[in-house]
Amino acid sequence: MTDPRNPGMSSIPQTAPVHTDSTSPAVEMDPVEYTLRKRLPRKLPKRRNDVYVNMKTDFRAQLARCQKLLEGGGHREICVHGLGLAINRAINIALQLQAGSQGVLQLAANTSTVELVDDLEPEDPDEAGEPMTRTRNNSAIHIKVFYPDPQ
Amino acid sequence: MFTACGMVSGQNQYLTRDAVRPHPGLEVSRPIQMENGVTAGTCSVYHDQTYSNASQPAAVNNVSNPLKPMPLPVPPPALKLGQEGFKKVCRTEEDSPCPFPGLASGVLEMRVKEGSKIRNLMGFAMARMQGEMGVSGGGVSGGGLRQVVFTGSGRAVTKTITCAEIMKRKVGSLHQLTKLRYKVVKEVWESSEGGTSEMTVHRTVPSISILLSKDPLDPQEPGYQPPETLSALWEEREGVKSASQTACKRPLGPLPYSSFPHCKRVCLGEGVSVNPPH
Repeated sequence: MTDPRNPGMSSIPQTAPVHTDSTSPAVEMDPVEYTLRKRLPRKLPKRRNDVYVNMKTDFRAQLARCQKLLEGGGHREICVHGLGLAINRAINIALQLQAGSQGVLQLAANTSTVELVDDLEPEDPDEAGEPMTRTRNNSAIHIKVFYPDPQ
Repeated sequence: MFTACGMVSGQNQYLTRDAVRPHPGLEVSRPIQMENGVTAGTCSVYHDQTYSNASQPAAVNNVSNPLKPMPLPVPPPALKLGQEGFKKVCRTEEDSPCPFPGLASGVLEMRVKEGSKIRNLMGFAMARMQGEMGVSGGGVSGGGLRQVVFTGSGRAVTKTITCAEIMKRKVGSLHQLTKLRYKVVKEVWESSEGGTSEMTVHRTVPSISILLSKDPLDPQEPGYQPPETLSALWEEREGVKSASQTACKRPLGPLPYSSFPHCKRVCLGEGVSVNPPH
């Protein structure tokens, strides 16, 4: 995409801090020139047995939701997704579910890379510099938590 | 392998953060996992054991010094160690069996720690995988190693995944097998005043092991990922999920997940008969 490396941008670190959500208020990287605004991650499928783990919701609430899906919701398998910092929490939830099931539940983890887009908006519209975007990658994990088939 | 001391100091921060943050709902018997990777249940159980062990000699030694603060008897003591004047003197990860049975013994294992630099890890691993160094190891052929394992625990999990993802992108057509589990970490804490009392804490931290292989792996194994699924992952998974969706015969309506906690009991009651977990 747009090459972000122009002189006014030199203070922006190459890897922006990991955030799982992009609703956070704009982060000021260069107070004179630009505002870094993180867009939401790409829209991903959301089924009833998909759980997207974030770092805002209480951990136990998210764990309870997964437990409910598996025990009360009648799902044979659920998918726990975590992006960036939330990977740890997603793994914790999956391992807790497994531990709580006396080893019946099985885990199958996949990893992937998610492309995230940041918007760079000039602070002062009169100044030189136009809105830019930059992409970066972040790691994600997708853990299938499932009851193995009887046979 | 890499920067062991950085890891230890990182763990210290970890603990002080624990100490600062209150965990209101912590009980000994509940297997609730704290988000930072401490299993409250096991930790406290172990803890009580080691406490009694440690306080035995301490009590004998400290007759002359009755004011010395003894380890607090209430769980969760682990979360307050930093405040009680204890210093961590030793941290060892307990040996756990290899998560990939049947793997050749000489496979390169990259142990990713919190402070490891990705460029260091990747520089080393890529050189070995691309065969510039031509060293002996498991499954070596002309083109370097055939397999590599990335492992990391606790806060290094994200970095571990990132390393594996970078390697998949750079090397291409790698088969992947991902395993998750708990790892037991033993910590020895020493009282900073006097140093007579010592205690051992067992923590469980989540860990991840990612095997990347140029040779095909068993696709039936849970956690297997075929090569080049970077973009195809979602399509593939959608197929899997739609299958399970039809199996449980529920409408796909935009049901508000946020309302679930309120109807918890109701859902539990009506849902159990649908699919009893065995």
